[in-house]
Amino acid sequence: MEGVKKYSETELVLLLKQRQQSSFSYLYDNYSGALLSVILGIIPDRDMANDVLQEVFTKIWRQIERYDETKGRLFTWMLNIARNASIDMVRSKGYQNSQQNKELTEVNYAAAGTTRVRTDEIGLRKIVHQLKDEHKILVELAYFEGFTQEEISKMLQIPIGTIKTRMRVALTQLRNVIKA
Amino acid sequence: MDIQAYIESGAIESYVLGLSDAAEAVEVEQLSHQYPEIKKAIDAFEVSLEQTAFAHTATPYASVKENLFTALQDEFAQPAAPAAPMPVTAPKTTQAPVVPMGWLKYVAAASVILLISSAALNIYFYNQFQAVNNKYTALLSEKNTLTADNNAIKARYLDLYSNVQLMNDPAMAKVPMPGVPGKENDLATVFWDTRTKDVYVLANKLPQAAQDKQYQLWALVDGKPVDAGLLEVDCNGLCKLKNIPRAQAFAITLENKGGSPTPHLDQLFVMGKV
Repeated sequence: MEGVKKYSETELVLLLKQRQQSSFSYLYDNYSGALLSVILGIIPDRDMANDVLQEVFTKIWRQIERYDETKGRLFTWMLNIARNASIDMVRSKGYQNSQQNKELTEVNYAAAGTTRVRTDEIGLRKIVHQLKDEHKILVELAYFEGFTQEEISKMLQIPIGTIKTRMRVALTQLRNVIKA
Repeated sequence: MDIQAYIESGAIESYVLGLSDAAEAVEVEQLSHQYPEIKKAIDAFEVSLEQTAFAHTATPYASVKENLFTALQDEFAQPAAPAAPMPVTAPKTTQAPVVPMGWLKYVAAASVILLISSAALNIYFYNQFQAVNNKYTALLSEKNTLTADNNAIKARYLDLYSNVQLMNDPAMAKVPMPGVPGKENDLATVFWDTRTKDVYVLANKLPQAAQDKQYQLWALVDGKPVDAGLLEVDCNGLCKLKNIPRAQAFAITLENKGGSPTPHLDQLFVMGKV
């Protein structure tokens, strides 16, 4: 873990809600590295990932009032903002154009995590790759690429019931891998 | 319901990772309030996700933070107190909104200045009051003394006035009594009312009598001394003595206090014939 934490999450959130610049600086210094690695898990391009990181912290700053600590940890909340922002970026026209040399078809999605061997995988994505293939692809498509289970069902031509069951097993295994 | 089975179902991970749909998310939230074990499982997965992320951090470009702080410059709280101390513990509940002081701080400052000025004025006025009160007390005491003196003088004036009235009465016989040989400086005067026969004495000039002595007036009637009364110490002026129907002369002797039945002639001071 980077740096020594000076504040509890409760204190930090309180100060952020009071619009204290020092608390935002502290938040950035302590969480930007972990969040960037989450973004890089979805957007391998470093320049773009850094742009998204800036966007993510702007959102965190402007939406901190919406964060409800009774519903979960601050990091989980920020992680979801980072994930959603990354997926939005991946789906944007600008990103699509920049990736024009790559095929953007269902084949690509189907291939995710199976044929493409990425050497720069970090964080959660690296852990996901330790799962069985049939589980890995579900987590990849759902979590890192933001598809709904219905979309995945159509993409993979697997019944939605099976997708749901497999997804739950996949996530349970993911938890066990993370814990280990 | 079987809590353990639910925990093992993957629903919690789905929820935390943001993969649940709205209905599933509501279900997990409700169950987490109901079952502490589920809440605990959620927390545990969140913590392990966080630890995983922190175990694999990437270093952002330095420009990201710079850009962020430039872009958000106007959204930060104005540093009223630049080094605002971070609270050691923060309350669980939401903090009451921080009301900006604004003009209130000037009002507060003005109030403090007014309070100090008022206190200073109070001290000043109290000192003034003390000084004036002391002067007033002194004047009051002086006034009482003067009033008493005035009353005494007025009483003496009334005495003298009535004496003068008596002395100027044409019916009043005046008998001067010069000092006998050896006491030539002494003098007393008898005023004798020829109608009522009352006798008054004016001690013009007699030595101060000793404590145990008292002057006594005698009327000489056919060669014999008759007691005509004692001169009281508190009588200053014309002193009314006894009623003497008949007399040829008057004399004053110094006798023991309370008077004597017969005069001690060796103590004769003044004497005068009618």
